[in-house]
Amino acid sequence: MNEQVKPVDAAAAEPVRSIGEYVPMVDGPEKVSGAAKYTADFVEGEALEAAILRSPYAHAEVLEVDTSEAEAMPGVRAVVTGADCDKTFGVLPIARGEYPLARDRVRYKGEPVAAVAADDIHTAKAAVKKIRMKVKELPAYFRCKDAYAEGAVDLHEHRPGNLERDVFFELGDVDDAFAGSDLVMERSFHAAEVCQAQMEMHSALVSYDPLRDRLTCQCSTQVPYYVHLMLAKVTGMDQGRIRVIKPHVGGGFGARTETLQPELIAALLARKIGGAVRLLTTREETFITHRGRPETDLRLKIGMTKDGRITGVELENDQRGGAHSSYGIVTILYAGSLLYAIYDLQNVRYIGRRVLTNTPPCGAFRGHGTVNTRFVFESLLDEMAEELGLDPIAVRRRNYIEAPAFTQNDLMINSYGLPECVDWVEQASGWKEKRAKGLPDPGPGKKKGIGFACSHYISGASKPVNWTGEPHATVNLKLDWDGAITVLTGAAEIGQGSSTLVAQITADVLGLPIDRIRVIAADSEVTPKDNGSYSSRVTFYVGNATLEAAVNLRKILVEAAARKLEANPEDIEVLGEYYRAGSQDTGIPFQEVVMEALRDTGTITTKGIYNTIPESWGGKKYRGAAIGGTMGFSYAAQAVEVTVDETTGEVTVDDVWVAHDCGKALNRLTVEGQVEGSVWMGMGQALSEETGYYNGLNLANNLLDYRIPTIQDSPPIHTHIVESNDPHGPYGAKEAGEGSLSGFIPAVANAIHDATGIRFPDTPITPDKVFLALEKAARFGAKKRAA
Amino acid sequence: MDALHAFEVIRPATVEEALAARQAHPESRMIGGGTDILVNIRRGIETPPVLIDTNDLADLKSIEVSENGLVIGASVRLYEVAEHPEVRRLYPAVAQAAGSIAGPTQRNMGTVGGNICLDTRCIYYNQSEWWREANDHCLKTELGEMCHVAPKSKGVCFATYSGDLAPAMLLFGGEIDLLGPDGARTVSMRDFFIGYSRQDGSTGDGIDYMAIRPGEFVLRIRAAAPGNLVSGYDKVRIRRSIEYPVAGCAAAVARDGDRLADLRIAITGTNPRPVFLEGAADLASGALDDATVQGIDDLCKDQLMSMKTTFTPGHYRRRVATKMAIRLVRELFEAAA
Repeated sequence: MNEQVKPVDAAAAEPVRSIGEYVPMVDGPEKVSGAAKYTADFVEGEALEAAILRSPYAHAEVLEVDTSEAEAMPGVRAVVTGADCDKTFGVLPIARGEYPLARDRVRYKGEPVAAVAADDIHTAKAAVKKIRMKVKELPAYFRCKDAYAEGAVDLHEHRPGNLERDVFFELGDVDDAFAGSDLVMERSFHAAEVCQAQMEMHSALVSYDPLRDRLTCQCSTQVPYYVHLMLAKVTGMDQGRIRVIKPHVGGGFGARTETLQPELIAALLARKIGGAVRLLTTREETFITHRGRPETDLRLKIGMTKDGRITGVELENDQRGGAHSSYGIVTILYAGSLLYAIYDLQNVRYIGRRVLTNTPPCGAFRGHGTVNTRFVFESLLDEMAEELGLDPIAVRRRNYIEAPAFTQNDLMINSYGLPECVDWVEQASGWKEKRAKGLPDPGPGKKKGIGFACSHYISGASKPVNWTGEPHATVNLKLDWDGAITVLTGAAEIGQGSSTLVAQITADVLGLPIDRIRVIAADSEVTPKDNGSYSSRVTFYVGNATLEAAVNLRKILVEAAARKLEANPEDIEVLGEYYRAGSQDTGIPFQEVVMEALRDTGTITTKGIYNTIPESWGGKKYRGAAIGGTMGFSYAAQAVEVTVDETTGEVTVDDVWVAHDCGKALNRLTVEGQVEGSVWMGMGQALSEETGYYNGLNLANNLLDYRIPTIQDSPPIHTHIVESNDPHGPYGAKEAGEGSLSGFIPAVANAIHDATGIRFPDTPITPDKVFLALEKAARFGAKKRAA
Repeated sequence: MDALHAFEVIRPATVEEALAARQAHPESRMIGGGTDILVNIRRGIETPPVLIDTNDLADLKSIEVSENGLVIGASVRLYEVAEHPEVRRLYPAVAQAAGSIAGPTQRNMGTVGGNICLDTRCIYYNQSEWWREANDHCLKTELGEMCHVAPKSKGVCFATYSGDLAPAMLLFGGEIDLLGPDGARTVSMRDFFIGYSRQDGSTGDGIDYMAIRPGEFVLRIRAAAPGNLVSGYDKVRIRRSIEYPVAGCAAAVARDGDRLADLRIAITGTNPRPVFLEGAADLASGALDDATVQGIDDLCKDQLMSMKTTFTPGHYRRRVATKMAIRLVRELFEAAA
């Protein structure tokens, strides 16, 4: 639509619509050509280079950090240690126990202990090696059970028993439900720890101006506002003296939904020297900074009637949270709360333990809290369907929710496109035929199978983690004499398309081509505050705020056009580049409308805000119940077809059919991209990714050993968008970037079962696991035959 | 990955210049595509003061196929081997092995010499300096005294050889032309790869895995004419690209009617050397039957020694290499009909 020729008169003009189209990203050209600048690309003339000393101990009391030798080295400008900052940071106001640099205690291998700023990186790294640590080692715990075992040393004094959060709730009567079930099945599962492995490594460039007492931070983050808050907290500076700029960011997937050590350490160094410091972490350090998805041990019990109705659910899970809180409390609550809102559940018991261990802190990885829960739930539904002789899809249908509804735990559902998702996947994948007649023969030594699963996700938490009473989102629009419209938003573009989204909505409301709109995003000195890009909140919240700001601007322009055309505002037609009063009118061009609007007032600024509605906040039925509340849930269904090589245990994903209910696809290009990306990321967790630790040392800390799928592993992904038009979403839109991830994992596990007859309760399902299970099954089969 | 240390790069135009540079700088290392050594340098595993770049050595850039066999220069890129029509026709195992190494970008840069001399690998070794120090280092670096794979190994290292080309070349009596201070010599690959890791230390191990003398470097590799051998290469990876072999298997058979007339198998990714299965030829004395299969199984059990050197469990790597070998032999036997 950008190639449109400007109409010469109103008769030829018509409003340009971009909502619901395939719209290229507004920041695409820079990214594709390599011109886009990421934090590491900014080389400030005077910036020093920094390096971090990381603890080689998993758990120890720090007796002394001797920096004298390092400080004496030529070229070393500043050294900071835990002694330089006694303020803690953390994303949840109730769990801020982490120091930028460890003070009295180190709690995992790789925890930052000291940092050096020097004239060049070689000097900085050499100086780091000269820092001496004196410690008293403590017992270290790398597994949940060891950490909360009787007599274990507490990692944090205020968390006895190393339990970050112990959750229990029961709604309905679960035992009664199980007693009245035709089938009750219980299984144990294990999901390995995974990390986001986003393309850009963590980095920060911070400069401090001692003359004016001002600090400017550019860093790779999803949440500039939270970075701003924590910079103020750890430096003790007035927040009004801090500026946070988010340049281009190379992905996040949740790794950067909280302030991380690099920006805080760079700030401490910059303050100490009174200048600029650039801190770039290595890939290994990015892995150690972590904030990924925790290793989880799960036990799930489901009761079912013989026609597939779920009667009761009991889920128990231990999450190995790592050494600090991060989002842990939210993760363990989500894992229980979000059992709900996909199927109609009436009796649920949940036991969750978030455990502190001597491993890097876990955080909020894409699909936060729902992924491992969904893996086990959809796996067990599949097994129970088989046991009852039911079609797995029929079992899902039997348990649909009827929207609008509030779940038993008070989650609000206004749109529910799951049935349409399921119907499309069933049809497109040829499910019925394939299940009835079997899949085509893949040849000797190979077996094919098809599996199915559903999933869902929130569109932003209806209560922000940092409750201030401000609106959830604020967007400003600026229109000046040149006719250019600038969107000012705090929303962090991290590759997901938020800048394109705000440009698109603004353009669409005004009927203008999208290239008329400029976006300035995420610079605290210029743009309104935004909580950041996480929990899939931006489309819903920032989208709605943008919509309001654009509608306000359109109103001003319509009134101006009415004045100019001596007509009533309600008679003005907005044709994008022309405004006219009825079809007989010759109309006036946009620029003239702008000049009329600016007369007497000057530059126009409009604002839009968005607030969630109290009904979405969740009830107070049990502790933590409010977590999980959202303005709208996305839904997804997928079928996955695989070939299993019986000789090697290798699993090839042949085909994926995925349908995602995002309410309304504002931009089909980015929605499809997000759904494909989710599927692909789910594939990584399902089949190949695992961080792994050896005595607390992260083993797969690089992109060779941490096996994200390559393009060679990527199957055709058939994506279908379902539009359930949420009544509260902007144009009806909901979440699109996370909901399809968690369904892939059970779908592929179910497909491997379909192919081999074996259940795999342990991710990643690597060839060795498949191979050994096949060998075991063959031995067992041989024994059975012999008997 | 860390910033590189400061080093000098020498770009010789002839092998004589390369030899002179090597003698002038005993601590130097050769660099072709850099896909192996640069990663190790970035991790601080080695810090050579001088790198001798082999990319201008025109003499080492050709692939020659004649009735006498195959000769490939050390500076030939891996993709060139994979795409060479005559190599594909006569030595499919070699072409397939080359075409399956890592991913396209590594094959475009990586060289034959580099893949043959590929450093042995271990999860306790291929780590950053900080990591290795936090883990008290290991035998394979100068600073360590202990093998984390086998703590009772008495100074023997089990780091795994993962080159794909060597097993394929071993099928055809592979040889290596070396040039060093004492002149040129040609060594059989079976003698060149010495990573047996015997507890008595009578041979090499994951550290001393090549019978290469100080100052020597690889000029070319050679394979004998294939005769009636039908060959192939297969490997297991967790993902299909940018991955070392979990286990790789090269095999060649000769078929005479219904009779298996010759059998050769070589395996990589399991031991500190590419394992040319000793005794395989003795199995080629009749039909390809259960006894042959059992024979291969027994040889693998006896000669493959995969340990906890990679992410993937050792017992799986040994078992899957065995099964893959049997499958490949069956397929080749069928194809040879």
